[in-house]
Amino acid sequence: MFVGQPLLRPEDQRLIRGRGNFVDDIEFPGMLYIGFVRSPHAHARILSIDTVGAQATPGVVRVLTAADWAAAGLGRLVCVHPMDFTDGRAMNEALRPAFAAHRVCHVGDVVAAVVADSRFHALDGAEAVHVEYEALPAIGDTGRALDPDAPLVHPQFGTNLVTEVIKGDKTAVEAAFAHAAHVTSLTVTSNRLIPSPLEPHSFVARYDSALDETVLWATNQMPHMLRQWICQYALFLPENKLRVIAPDVGGSFGGKGSFLPEISTVVWMARELGRAIKWTATRSEEFLTQTHARDHVTRGRMAFDTQGRILGLEVDTTAALGAYLSNFAPSIPGNSYPQTITGLYRTPALWIRVRAVYTNTVPVGPYRGSGRPEAALVNERLLENGAREMGIDVVEIRRRNLLTREQFPYRSPVGRTFDCADPPRMLDILIDMASYSELRAQQKEAKRQGRLMGIGLAGFFEKSGSGPSGNLARSGAHHGGYETALVRVHGDGKVSLFVGTHNHGQGHEITYAAIAADRLGIDVADITVVEGDTATVPFGNGTWGSRSISVGGAAIFRASTAIAEKMAAIAAHRLGCDRADLRLEAGAYTAASTNQTMTFREVATAANRGFGLPPGLEPSLECTISHEPPDSNDPLAIHLAVVAIDTSTGVLSIEKYFTVDDCGVVINPMIVAGQVQGGFAQGIGQALMEHVVYDPASAQLLAGTFMDYAVPRASDMPPLESAFIETPAPSNPLGVKGGSETGTIGPPAAIVNAVVDALWDGGIRNIELPLTPEVVWRALSQMKANAPCV
Amino acid sequence: MRVSLTINGAAFSADVEPRMSLAQFVRSEVRLTGTHIGCDTSQCGACTLHVNGVALKSCTLLAVQADGAQVTTIEGLAKDEKLHPMQEAFRHHHALQCGFCTAGMIMSALDMLRREPLLDEVVVRHNLEGNICRCTGYYNIVEAILSGAAEMRKTSDTTADEC
Repeated sequence: MFVGQPLLRPEDQRLIRGRGNFVDDIEFPGMLYIGFVRSPHAHARILSIDTVGAQATPGVVRVLTAADWAAAGLGRLVCVHPMDFTDGRAMNEALRPAFAAHRVCHVGDVVAAVVADSRFHALDGAEAVHVEYEALPAIGDTGRALDPDAPLVHPQFGTNLVTEVIKGDKTAVEAAFAHAAHVTSLTVTSNRLIPSPLEPHSFVARYDSALDETVLWATNQMPHMLRQWICQYALFLPENKLRVIAPDVGGSFGGKGSFLPEISTVVWMARELGRAIKWTATRSEEFLTQTHARDHVTRGRMAFDTQGRILGLEVDTTAALGAYLSNFAPSIPGNSYPQTITGLYRTPALWIRVRAVYTNTVPVGPYRGSGRPEAALVNERLLENGAREMGIDVVEIRRRNLLTREQFPYRSPVGRTFDCADPPRMLDILIDMASYSELRAQQKEAKRQGRLMGIGLAGFFEKSGSGPSGNLARSGAHHGGYETALVRVHGDGKVSLFVGTHNHGQGHEITYAAIAADRLGIDVADITVVEGDTATVPFGNGTWGSRSISVGGAAIFRASTAIAEKMAAIAAHRLGCDRADLRLEAGAYTAASTNQTMTFREVATAANRGFGLPPGLEPSLECTISHEPPDSNDPLAIHLAVVAIDTSTGVLSIEKYFTVDDCGVVINPMIVAGQVQGGFAQGIGQALMEHVVYDPASAQLLAGTFMDYAVPRASDMPPLESAFIETPAPSNPLGVKGGSETGTIGPPAAIVNAVVDALWDGGIRNIELPLTPEVVWRALSQMKANAPCV
Repeated sequence: MRVSLTINGAAFSADVEPRMSLAQFVRSEVRLTGTHIGCDTSQCGACTLHVNGVALKSCTLLAVQADGAQVTTIEGLAKDEKLHPMQEAFRHHHALQCGFCTAGMIMSALDMLRREPLLDEVVVRHNLEGNICRCTGYYNIVEAILSGAAEMRKTSDTTADEC
């Protein structure tokens, strides 16, 4: 069995030698380069664009503006998951323009593009484009976007509201709060982030006039969908005339699923000019155009009975979507976020309102967790504050509220049914691993010595696996939830797997190979995995929402099983035995009764030559399965953070961190542990340092490089101890659940809870993210101001 | 301007614009694309390579400043297809996911080993200050560096990366 083994990854052989093939590595003779001219204003009217200087710049081949896009009759970028108002009104849709025409709506909005014979000349040309603007009032503050006097991002709507999604039962919640023994209220802000994969976006396109085919090499996690968007909405090309290849991609985390405004222009110009062309973003451009994430402001209330049992939850969220709708944006706060808002707890009554708003900021899009970190933060902050206000230990209040194993499948008040879990067992493992009572004793001792120590927890579901296409369609999506795998056994017995997902660090190659190898009875080394090429891989919906293994892996499982059955039929026929008499061991089929054998390779050769097969059986060993998942799946985790605070500087130190995960059956424990660790680093980032800061008055971007947007470094990472339990998911034949987002979801909630725990006796009830030394120092100062004079 | 330097033991010259960084030079002129550009501001370290035996961030060094230098890139570490012990350690410890930061991490690891012969976890973490990995959370990178260093001590190979 290869499933369950920590097998090493074949792709590492090229990546550690510097022989990866990333998009920016691709060069062609005579290649052109594009530089984009971007708005320096958050909101302004474009009065004029003077391209004369750019046209005259050495090396410049073409200068483009919105006028050229319109003259070419090109279309629009698309939002593939719109969310209408719950009352039936259509959402207020303003799509990202490839080129802003009359108005710019965020710093970084594309105004013009310059095509030239070198990167340097493209930049020179871009600098020579002179744009005259008339600045307009801008809104950069999410919490103010719906104020009556807020500047309007798109005046035609008369509001900054994109959509309003309401779920739950208002009457039931009002009754719950009316009868509550205790009510906790909080305002919770989820700080704006940027996914920041280390590889910046890069696109190379090349047109072959003989075939009338364009090839686009793209930093992307869903190449088939990208092809659809470009062909059907933006450039009106036949889909069979564009081939999208996503080769090695240097991280994505949801960010490289965005339909950036620059992509279509690269493809358009490759066709128009008949030359290979490239655009690679600088890191600053990433901040100006790559979709950002999170940015919620939430007012939440939780009602408890006298025993600390949750009676009701009321959530009112304003979620910024930026200046335009990116392709997936509305579904993140509108669909993903409400689904997990009640977390791991029995919550009899819920009312949630999400108002998605425009602000003069870069569009928001998916980023690891997508809605679930925001949900966990609200639910877990309210629960722990409630516990402390009621004098109940934070572990004890969870014991009283956690869903138990027997209650699954559990239909939550938001309407979602969660498949299987055992949260109380996970909590037991966690507090045992963390030596919780010992930690509390240490905390008391620390307090006696005048030191500040805090302990906080967070438990949550991570909805994953995309679910069936019908469910997606009902929630408004313009894309499917299925995944396609093609298993091909070659005449020499070697195997190729083609899967419509995309690997950009998750180790799909060895994971998929292990699944197929177990079904086919061969070595993983005999299997090659191909992803990320629309010309060779059947249509697939790509990698997002932790869906690759539970959906793509299930497709491989089914296709490999079908191939194995066909091969067994051939072997039985050739060996003259019954199928029941046949054993497959060590790459050979043996007829138990006669002890005659036929190797896997010999069966493959027979099938390939189409000779000596059972009557009626078709030759060749290829199977394509488009697997429609009957349901999504529900990984979950509980985290515990231990923090210490330096009372003079506000520097926060995470002393220890513990996680217990249930991501179902683990195919490769090395890779899954790596996903938890890597996800955790991004969670630490949101908790401690990452923040896309906009000036509240001007909506000017203040964090635009890695010098002012801090991401965690090696010395920022605390000791991490992780445990796993396996509750097999019922909705796929592998029993797997998503395994790559929990690490990111928990830390903001667990760490804020721990900090509030440390500062509780000083009167602190809430604190903003990220927990920079300044933020913590301000809280400490407030504590000193609160303290009675001695 | 003419730039002549030695890369991984081989001489190379080209006429380039004075504003071309060494990272761009290595990638586009020499066509060794294992050195990556992640941030343009010396923050992420994906472009780390060795110039005259010392690790430098090549995104903020002009190619003309490296005229006459001995440069080693990630492609220069494996000898006759045999992986350098530090490369082998990264593979064995699952110290890379997307692989974009990996060349810089390995080049920094070898440089820290030159400067800090006695590595422990704290020293490694401190010395990785200039290298960002967005995928792994660094746990396996730290393990890999300690393990690779131990392996190199066994084979006394601490300086063998420079051609």
